[in-house]
Amino acid sequence: MFMSEAIMTNILRQSAKLCGIVSLMSIRLSSVIDVCLTAIRETSTIGRRVDSERKMIEVDKLTKRYGSFTAVDHISFKAKKGEIVGLLGPNGAGKTTTMRMLTGFMPPTDGSASIAGFDISDESMEARRNVGYMPERIPVYPDMTVKAYVMFWAQLRGERRPSAQVNDVLQRVQLYDRRNMLIRHLSKGMRQRLGLAQALVHNPPVIILDEPTIGIDPQQVIEVRETVRMLGKDHTVLFSTHILNEAEQVCDRVLIIDKGHIIAQGKPGELRDRLQSGAVIYVEIGGTNADAARKLLSGIPGVTAVEKQGAGWLVKSKRDHDTRAEISGRVAKVGYTLLEMRQEQTSLESIFLELVGKDST
Amino acid sequence: MSTWVILRREIAHYFGSPFAYLIGFAFLVFTGLVFTQEIEVVSTAQTIANPAIIPTTLALLLVFIAPLLTMRLLAEERREGTLELLLTAPVPDGAIVIGKFLGAWFYYTALLLITLAYQFVLAAITQPDFGHTIGAYLGIWLYGGATLAVGLFFSSLTENQIVAAFFSMITLLLLWLADGAGRVIGNIEVARVVRTLSLQAHYAPSFGFGLIKMEDIAFFLGIIVIMLYLSIRALESARWR
Repeated sequence: MFMSEAIMTNILRQSAKLCGIVSLMSIRLSSVIDVCLTAIRETSTIGRRVDSERKMIEVDKLTKRYGSFTAVDHISFKAKKGEIVGLLGPNGAGKTTTMRMLTGFMPPTDGSASIAGFDISDESMEARRNVGYMPERIPVYPDMTVKAYVMFWAQLRGERRPSAQVNDVLQRVQLYDRRNMLIRHLSKGMRQRLGLAQALVHNPPVIILDEPTIGIDPQQVIEVRETVRMLGKDHTVLFSTHILNEAEQVCDRVLIIDKGHIIAQGKPGELRDRLQSGAVIYVEIGGTNADAARKLLSGIPGVTAVEKQGAGWLVKSKRDHDTRAEISGRVAKVGYTLLEMRQEQTSLESIFLELVGKDST
Repeated sequence: MSTWVILRREIAHYFGSPFAYLIGFAFLVFTGLVFTQEIEVVSTAQTIANPAIIPTTLALLLVFIAPLLTMRLLAEERREGTLELLLTAPVPDGAIVIGKFLGAWFYYTALLLITLAYQFVLAAITQPDFGHTIGAYLGIWLYGGATLAVGLFFSSLTENQIVAAFFSMITLLLLWLADGAGRVIGNIEVARVVRTLSLQAHYAPSFGFGLIKMEDIAFFLGIIVIMLYLSIRALESARWR
């Protein structure tokens, strides 16, 4: 009896010890697993060498020449994680060529660039793995189903078991219900979303979209813009457009590009402030004739130009002159009536036209 | 890995498109006709049936069929703009070309395997020399690979499928005719060079009789390697435009 009890306690004690060792081991094991996982994460090329502070896109004096024609001429810019950068410029300005060099489609003639820390020439495969690209004309295989198409690109970009990702991205672009449809039966807007799905499926840190809103209806344009804004939360987005107010709405930063050069860059608001040559005020005056009104307005100190617009006048003045008080004062003094007065916003459009125009003359 | 992804898509495309089935249909009707004719001749003239009759017929037929099977491979990618996406995927250019080539070769192999049915018919009525059959089939399989590689190369040069098919047909026809040309050329040295380049000369006198010669295997594999290499270079050139 005693003996057996002693043996029992001994066994219990031993097993408790064993448990302790096991639990210790399991702690060790889990730390080992942790170390392994970090090692794996570090060796995986997606997002390697990149912390949030790093520049996701770094372009340094990138140049592309076709014979004697220079399509892109020494452009340099950077983009951080979570930034939406717009390339804005007229057709043929070099937007697509820039994007094609960044995506690894064509080698640059000169200069360098890196995507997520990988050089586009020396580490092309890693750089390409970190980019999602949607060309201007959505390239599709008409005979494939929506799902097979997205699956194909996911696998080609090295995703081993992309099924869940594919479903996920199809839901995001609202094509999940049509996943078994042949692409030839999709409408233009749906193809656009499919192009987006293809660019997002491998969850790349950098997304490059070439004119994503071209040729689709206004409702879809709004949707695409919203999607781009949403993408900007976790990805770096570079997108090109020739629509100015789109760049103004969507981008954190705008690069205005013309004839292969960046001619201006900055936040949309900043750009406007920096480039606005002065204030413009719209004034409508009652109880007088045109000549008298023009004479009155031109006589105000600081006014540089007076132009007729509709029923009223556009009064341009030097940057630091607020002429509004003076205008209303003088109008009242001579007995006319001030019908309307408002500050005109210079749109990015006029700045853009001014810049591009300057360059071409 | 990426070659496999491309290959799988090509195979799915071949077996999913009506055009490929149409070519397969024509292929089998033609070989079937040739085979019945052979049986008829054999049964009336009391000669020995040629077990290599189908592969030997294919030697000519492939000049026309291989370009049709391969014309879309890269030309279509170029026209649809999907080439741009392929070339920006983290995939070596070689993997794209090799995947496409293997896809076409796989489809051709499937067609070839179906014609083996005729061998069973033959075995039921006579006693064919199976060594002869195996040699001829191996030969025409490699021969087919070489013609497909030529077709793929021309497909890599243009975005127009008809142009690709036309030029590969002309090239294959010239390579096929080189054998006949070699026979009429007076200068023996020149004639030998011309004949060495001909497709027919590496099939008919050897594989056609069930002879497996190393130099013939090397010839067809050599054509495949050279054509694939040139296709890869042509694909690279798309990056410079």
